[in-house]
Amino acid sequence: MTKFSPGRIFIYSILVLFCAIYLMPLLVMLLTSFKSLPDIRGGNLLSLPEVWVFDAWFKAWGTACTGVTCEGVKGYFWNSFKMAVPAVFISTLIGALNGYVIAHWRFKGSNLFFALMLFGCFIPFQVILLPMAATLGKFGLANTTTGLVFVHVVYGLVFTTLFFRNFYVSVPGELVKAAKLDGAGFFTIFFKIMLPISKPIIMVCIIWQFTQIWNDFLFGVVYSGSDSQPITVALNNLVNTSTGVKEYNVDMAAAIIAALPTLFVYVVAGKYFVRGLTAGSVKG
Amino acid sequence: MFNTLQKWLPKIILSPSIFLVTVCIYGYVAWTGYLSLTHSRFLPNFKWAGLLQYNKLMENDRWVTSCINLLIFGVLFIIISIILGTLLAILLDQNIRQEGAIRTIYLYPMALSFIVTGTAWKWILNPGLGLEKMMHDWGWTSFEFNWLVSNDMSVYTLVIAAVWQSSGFVMAMFLAGLRGIDSSIVKAAQIDGASMPTIYWKIILPCLRPVFFSAVIITSHIAIKSFDLVTALTSGGPGYSSDLPALFMYTHAFTRGQMGLGAASAMMMLAGVLAILVPYLYSELRNREQ
Amino acid sequence: MATLDIKQLYKRYGKSAPNTLEDINISINAGEFLILVGPSGCGKSTLMNMIAGLEEITSGDICIDGKVVNDVDPKDRDIAMVFQSYALYPNMTVRGNIEFALKIQKMDKDARETEITRVAQLLQIEHLLDRKPSQLSGGQQQRVSMGRALARQPKIYLFDEPLSNLDAKLRVEMRHEIKKLHQRLGTTIVYVTHDQIEAMTLADRIAVMKDGQLLQLGSPSEIYNDPADMFVAGFMGSPAMNFLHCSVEQSEHGLMGSLVCDQQQQHQIPLPEHLGKYAGKSLVVGIRPEQITHVNPYKKDKPLVTTLNLKLGVLEPTGPDTIALVTLNGKEISCRLDPDKPATMGENLNLMFDLSSAVYFDPNNEQRIR
Repeated sequence: MTKFSPGRIFIYSILVLFCAIYLMPLLVMLLTSFKSLPDIRGGNLLSLPEVWVFDAWFKAWGTACTGVTCEGVKGYFWNSFKMAVPAVFISTLIGALNGYVIAHWRFKGSNLFFALMLFGCFIPFQVILLPMAATLGKFGLANTTTGLVFVHVVYGLVFTTLFFRNFYVSVPGELVKAAKLDGAGFFTIFFKIMLPISKPIIMVCIIWQFTQIWNDFLFGVVYSGSDSQPITVALNNLVNTSTGVKEYNVDMAAAIIAALPTLFVYVVAGKYFVRGLTAGSVKG
Repeated sequence: MFNTLQKWLPKIILSPSIFLVTVCIYGYVAWTGYLSLTHSRFLPNFKWAGLLQYNKLMENDRWVTSCINLLIFGVLFIIISIILGTLLAILLDQNIRQEGAIRTIYLYPMALSFIVTGTAWKWILNPGLGLEKMMHDWGWTSFEFNWLVSNDMSVYTLVIAAVWQSSGFVMAMFLAGLRGIDSSIVKAAQIDGASMPTIYWKIILPCLRPVFFSAVIITSHIAIKSFDLVTALTSGGPGYSSDLPALFMYTHAFTRGQMGLGAASAMMMLAGVLAILVPYLYSELRNREQ
Repeated sequence: MATLDIKQLYKRYGKSAPNTLEDINISINAGEFLILVGPSGCGKSTLMNMIAGLEEITSGDICIDGKVVNDVDPKDRDIAMVFQSYALYPNMTVRGNIEFALKIQKMDKDARETEITRVAQLLQIEHLLDRKPSQLSGGQQQRVSMGRALARQPKIYLFDEPLSNLDAKLRVEMRHEIKKLHQRLGTTIVYVTHDQIEAMTLADRIAVMKDGQLLQLGSPSEIYNDPADMFVAGFMGSPAMNFLHCSVEQSEHGLMGSLVCDQQQQHQIPLPEHLGKYAGKSLVVGIRPEQITHVNPYKKDKPLVTTLNLKLGVLEPTGPDTIALVTLNGKEISCRLDPDKPATMGENLNLMFDLSSAVYFDPNNEQRIR
């Protein structure tokens, strides 16, 4: 295991090469967003801006056209928060309670339900789009943020339940028995004993749900109205609106704005993010 | 336990979820299945059409193209992601300095929306100003790269962007798998005189079989539901040359007023998922019983 | 302190499933230390959970102080339980763990403090009160979990294999601690274990269970010296009791059992006359290792004592004794030899079989012949 054997150098160079490949698009986006349009045409993807300008950022945030309106992505950015925050909170809470019941208060049929839920993780959402649209319309929730929150809660709770169930299964049943003998009931055990030890899984769950919901496009494009569109839909409209000159710098600035919250979460809580991914991947 | 309320609480807590899962997953699947057997266009229409929509689907060039595209995209995406992911995981597992930082870099695309990924790669692959121009500037003047606007090649741009986004995730799965292997197995093999490549090929990789299968399941799941990526990157174009079933379903059900046809295509997608999932679950259960 | 009566108790999971517990009848006196012992899966933990109220009763009654508690909630039975995994609440300090049940009972703060101090002193855990369970060693966690049980001063204590997770030395220490505690407090205790030394040393009475049935209930010495059947006889004692299958003959020297050693030599052992009805048939002689020893001249002429010349197999010196294995009837038999007397492997040695306290079983139903 000498540090500078040819083999080690080879391994490191491959790893570094791939770092460059993975980072390149982000770098391109950043560079482009700080260029002026003539600069973009004059230079190339990885050339530095002649002059660093922030115009594209202001335009993307405040005045760029996303389809019919030209008010930038700021409104949609907040729309996404208004949708994601309650949806994450509700689905996490329900998931925690469900997981607690399935792991420690089993009853006849609770395992069958869990199996049905697991299987539900795998269905392609296209197969529920039409009926859900009809249902939302029926209850007056079409094109509203509330409707989107509902959809994200319903299809998110499958995952949150799975997370919490797998976590609570590893909590010894004797703990629950001991608490029962100490006189604690269903909710006392949940709030006084289970929730305080659930911090890691709550983090995993919140981060997973936030990333999923923030990044979602399908439900956003199908169920949102013009004033409840999430940022992903707005970004797509902005990029694919073909009026006049294509402003790549604005596109890139908007894309980075759309990516910032999830990237931020990834940077500050990457540990939980990875744990969520691997936990979500061993479904089944 | 014998207190009535306490006895019913778990059921009361679970019942809203049971209701939602039953109705909003299984009920809706049945509903979509029913719609696919009707003449529904802009509005649901309950006139029975039998398998008409499915016949129309099979004769629809765009659907056939999108299915072929999914096959090309899916197979390439899965194979490349897994090979790349495994390779990077093995390299990263060699006591690398700064492993954490490198892992963070490989995995960050997974935190992005496919719309963002699509937007970025759309710009990078731009035939006039993107990669092509950069290569020309760097002195490779004959370099040509116009996949994004080529009927034959546009589907491969999807593969590039999807691999960029998801291979780091596959790497993370394999790395977790590698870390889970008992290191005494490797020591035993070393004492038996096996070389490192042999150890990886004959011992470690076979141990990762379950990881391999779940990676296939996850990546194929990503491939089948790919809708955002294709929307942002190619919008299915040029023409419908890079269409995928998910986009086909959305277009017909929601913008073209072909609800019956859209429902039928959704059912076909479900069938596709089941075709992969059921054998997997079956073998899992059988293994578990053994 | 309370009495506990278990009457015709049955437990079945599902209608067609076999009985997990079958017709269990035990009545425990106030202040008695009862140990449930048996191999894993014998139903002892299920029985424990049913006493605690954590599992429902299929049929039969459980009475505490003469009152049927079948439908009483666990928390209202006034029972405390100590678990194998300790089951300490990981998010609470030691104090919080001990206090938890008292808080639920809405005991006021001063009374709680007094109670915590009393328990902490009793178990010598005062210095641990503000630590979290994860900061404690196994033995300390064990003490805390006992403290949590003691704090409520319940009528009955249940111990579910409380010492199995401790290392050997600590286990002995805690065993003494529990015994002292019981003698000091005089509480009613039901204690589950699969460790027969714990059972022998701690119990006032032992209940031996197997396959959901209560095989024998009695004092440690009854269980050891007077087992009801081959299972109980084989389960208690280490090394285990030797079982010699032999055919019984009536000879001029009285009733004899014949055995074959590994050198194909025929040996005879004397049997008590009350087994006369087995003449011409076969039975199982149960003889403990300490009843097969070097020749002891004082015992030589007693009835039911015989000396056989046998070849020694493996020797296992344990310190106070040396356990020697010899082969009889194709089976390895352990004998307890004096470590100070010479014995080497492969040597032929005269071994004295004292059958006066041997027990006899019917080979067909494995029941004791009395």
